[in-house]
Amino acid sequence: MLLCDFHIHTTYSDGSVELRRTIDLFGQAGFDVIAITDHVVSGDNSIGKFANRFNLSVREDNFEEYMTNIRQEAARAWNKYGMLVIPGVEISKNHLSSDKSAHMLLIDIKSFVPASWNYERIFLEAKEQDALIVACHPHYMSDMSKDTLFLWNNREKYAKYIDAWEVANRDDVFNVISLKKYPYLANSDFHKARHLYSWKTLLNCEKDTAAVKQCIKHNKGVAITLFRN
Amino acid sequence: MSLFWIFAFLTFFGLIAYGFQIWAVRSYLSTPCSCGEGLALPRLFPPVSVLKPLKGLDDNLYDNLLSFCSQDYPEYEIIFSLQSHNDPAYRIAKRIKDKHPGRNISIIVEDCSIGLNPKVNNLLPAYKASKYEYILISDSNVIVDKNYLREITKPIDNSGPVGEVGLVSNIIKGVGGRSLGAIFENLHLNSFIVGSVCFLHSFLKLPCVIGKSMLMSKKDLEAIGGLRSVKDILAEDYVIGERMHKAGKKVVLSNYMISNVNEYWGFKRFLNRHTRWGKLRWKIGGSKYVFELIGNPVFMSAMPIVFWQCSKLTVTFAVLTSIIKVFGDFYLGRKTGAELDNPFLYLLSPVKDLVIGLIWTVPIVSNTVVWRGNRYSIGKDSILSPCPETGIWSLRYRIIDAIKERFA
Repeated sequence: MLLCDFHIHTTYSDGSVELRRTIDLFGQAGFDVIAITDHVVSGDNSIGKFANRFNLSVREDNFEEYMTNIRQEAARAWNKYGMLVIPGVEISKNHLSSDKSAHMLLIDIKSFVPASWNYERIFLEAKEQDALIVACHPHYMSDMSKDTLFLWNNREKYAKYIDAWEVANRDDVFNVISLKKYPYLANSDFHKARHLYSWKTLLNCEKDTAAVKQCIKHNKGVAITLFRN
Repeated sequence: MSLFWIFAFLTFFGLIAYGFQIWAVRSYLSTPCSCGEGLALPRLFPPVSVLKPLKGLDDNLYDNLLSFCSQDYPEYEIIFSLQSHNDPAYRIAKRIKDKHPGRNISIIVEDCSIGLNPKVNNLLPAYKASKYEYILISDSNVIVDKNYLREITKPIDNSGPVGEVGLVSNIIKGVGGRSLGAIFENLHLNSFIVGSVCFLHSFLKLPCVIGKSMLMSKKDLEAIGGLRSVKDILAEDYVIGERMHKAGKKVVLSNYMISNVNEYWGFKRFLNRHTRWGKLRWKIGGSKYVFELIGNPVFMSAMPIVFWQCSKLTVTFAVLTSIIKVFGDFYLGRKTGAELDNPFLYLLSPVKDLVIGLIWTVPIVSNTVVWRGNRYSIGKDSILSPCPETGIWSLRYRIIDAIKERFA
């Protein structure tokens, strides 16, 4: 089984560990597949403007640099650790109300997707790029100030676009996902080194991007594990 | 006022002791290994079994283990020893083995619970499986360069046919600190620990053994009782060294430094480790443990502020002492090649010393340790015994655990 984490932030957004060190941290810990998914924040409200102003978000103007660095690090990670690194982003639609907020991972993204677009447009663009769409922390979390409930509240409308839902995020487990029998993943939402020890995904597939995406979409051979030291 | 002068005297004494420690480190590192360098005998390279007990993910574990696969040494084997296949370190050990099919690497997974010392429990199966006469016990949190085995075997190689050298150990330096706990840990390793070890070894001629790297022959180890004889001892490294010394064997502290990688330690882990180490030094050293506190000049210089008054005099005195200590630590860091990434982080050194001073008091009031999830009480010479789980005596542990859980 491949030990995987598909939700990792670096200093490109609000993570505290630089990209290279993040790769090393996961490589040294024996991970097989990871996705780097820094925030892309919508700049159409004050929260987004603040994030963009203080470089807490990947922006259109630094997206190419972000992707280039991930690709370079991916090559290094593959040679040194045999670890597959997939580029991605976390589209972050933040509002003061948790009912309106939503975060979604676009994994294996190729070009920039603005978070200010409407949901359908984002999903269609992600499909166009053959990226995987994952709904992040879709239900109530232990830290209530960060709840992002929009996708869950509108699941009837949007579930058809979403390839997988986070059934566990860092220390939280969302049993509603399993009750609804949605395809699932478990990730760390890594921001600090100590977040390495959290819920993870185990995949029973080959270690290449296409096989990993296929395995998640079909959601067969997927398990979750609480990775502890 | 007399209280101030008492503490001022003790601080002064501590600074002088610290000066001697710096001197000891300096002279030790600049002296080539005295063991037979001048002998005209051809260099021999005895085959070595490297025993690596693994438990959990240490910082930089992959590179640490990998560094042992590229040793410039004719014949050696590496044995990774674990208690469970579910240990996250197992994946790393397996990956290293797969990456180096040509190397003599074995992975032993055995749930051995003969003793109370988890490290010895982990080592025993590896020791049994080792095929060479010389064993090197090496912790998983150290990284070495390719000359490590050549350097550590030098004293053994030159000890002559009678084999007067019983054990070779290395000085360690802490590297890679990125979090507060790790920076504190590395500052402490690179000042107090390295200084004390060199001081004891150079001036007091006491056998100093660092358990992170110990080379010895099976014959010598068995002669002092073998690994099983230290299965219930917390400071197994110290006891092995002392027994070797008493058996008339030379305990050599190689001046080849090895790096202990501490990158992302939490502050709590720093507290736990040094409380544990303090307790074992208290149990082993007895009244000599008092000198450790006197040897902490920053803590001593802060005492007049606490016990007398907070005045211009006492604060200036404490600040001056801290400045001297910061420069001393900075110098030691440079000397040992273990400088912190940012020199301003040395300003944390006095804070670390104050914390260490507070930790010093814990062993006086508590004789239990929690090590790798198990609680033990420590007796004389750091002999471990399990803590009672039921009855009136267990009540205080249960209360402490409940408080800890509440605030977790």
